[in-house]
Amino acid sequence: MKYSIAILSFIAFPALANVEITGSVEAKCVIQTTKAGVYGNPIASKLSTTPADGGVLPIIRYDVSIADSYTANITHPTAFSSSPTLSDTLAWTGSTSVTQTSVAGMSAYEAAKILVNNTTIFDLTLAGSTWFSTASSAVYGSAKALPGGTYTAVVQATCIAK
Amino acid sequence: MAHTRQLCRQLVLRSSVLITFLLWATAISGHEMTPAYPVVKPSHVADVVKVEMSLFNSREEIEYYQIELFDLNWMNIPFSTTYRIIKIGYKERKSFNVYIRKRDMDEAVYLCTTSKVRKTNQSRTLVSSKICSRLDGEPA
Repeated sequence: MKYSIAILSFIAFPALANVEITGSVEAKCVIQTTKAGVYGNPIASKLSTTPADGGVLPIIRYDVSIADSYTANITHPTAFSSSPTLSDTLAWTGSTSVTQTSVAGMSAYEAAKILVNNTTIFDLTLAGSTWFSTASSAVYGSAKALPGGTYTAVVQATCIAK
Repeated sequence: MAHTRQLCRQLVLRSSVLITFLLWATAISGHEMTPAYPVVKPSHVADVVKVEMSLFNSREEIEYYQIELFDLNWMNIPFSTTYRIIKIGYKERKSFNVYIRKRDMDEAVYLCTTSKVRKTNQSRTLVSSKICSRLDGEPA
């Protein structure tokens, strides 16, 4: 009996083998919409996402897993993707800024940003999360009142591998 | 008695931290595409190579993503895939293959997916997300 138990325990020994957990860290970018923007209508001819104008700034978060692998290109709108019929031109303005960072060194992104037409380019040189906000404003030609209806514009947030 | 109170306090604190994390985690919505530098592999078709990609959608308001291929100057390059606009449910991951002619590989640089935003009935800004991987390899 003793011998049988000894033999059985020997056979059962491989069941105690270690199980490996493997993983890898690779370059990855995740774009997250933390807050959707809303246009405020402070005067009849203007729509603006600025809080002072009654709007809400859209907040976009970029998470990068490896430093110096991506650039963030954020394009503020220069046209409405949907709106009532407009008979006059619109004067568009916009800007994108760093609002929050997970690493102190990321605050340098704001000073190093490059503006090309309506696209702001940030070089994501550090791993971690960065929050960007995009301000957008449209003023109707000759201070005319904007027609009633729903106005929608698209902010393009792009993450490009270097 | 004091020990029990301390335990209760710790439990409440830990629960609130956990609840806060869960609320934060569920509130976030994101678009993720990997790998950043995909490996170009031979395909079952002569003179055509394939790239295997993975897309994860945690943007609740987004259901469709468009696949595009560009050269260094952002000009379109021809490619083939099962669906150029793929439907991905919320919190779903999908793998897809992109087939490119060998002769186009010298020019193909950016492989991108772009979220397709839906029309809304509110005056707002929508965020269209776009992630681009590089086919010409990691920077030296």
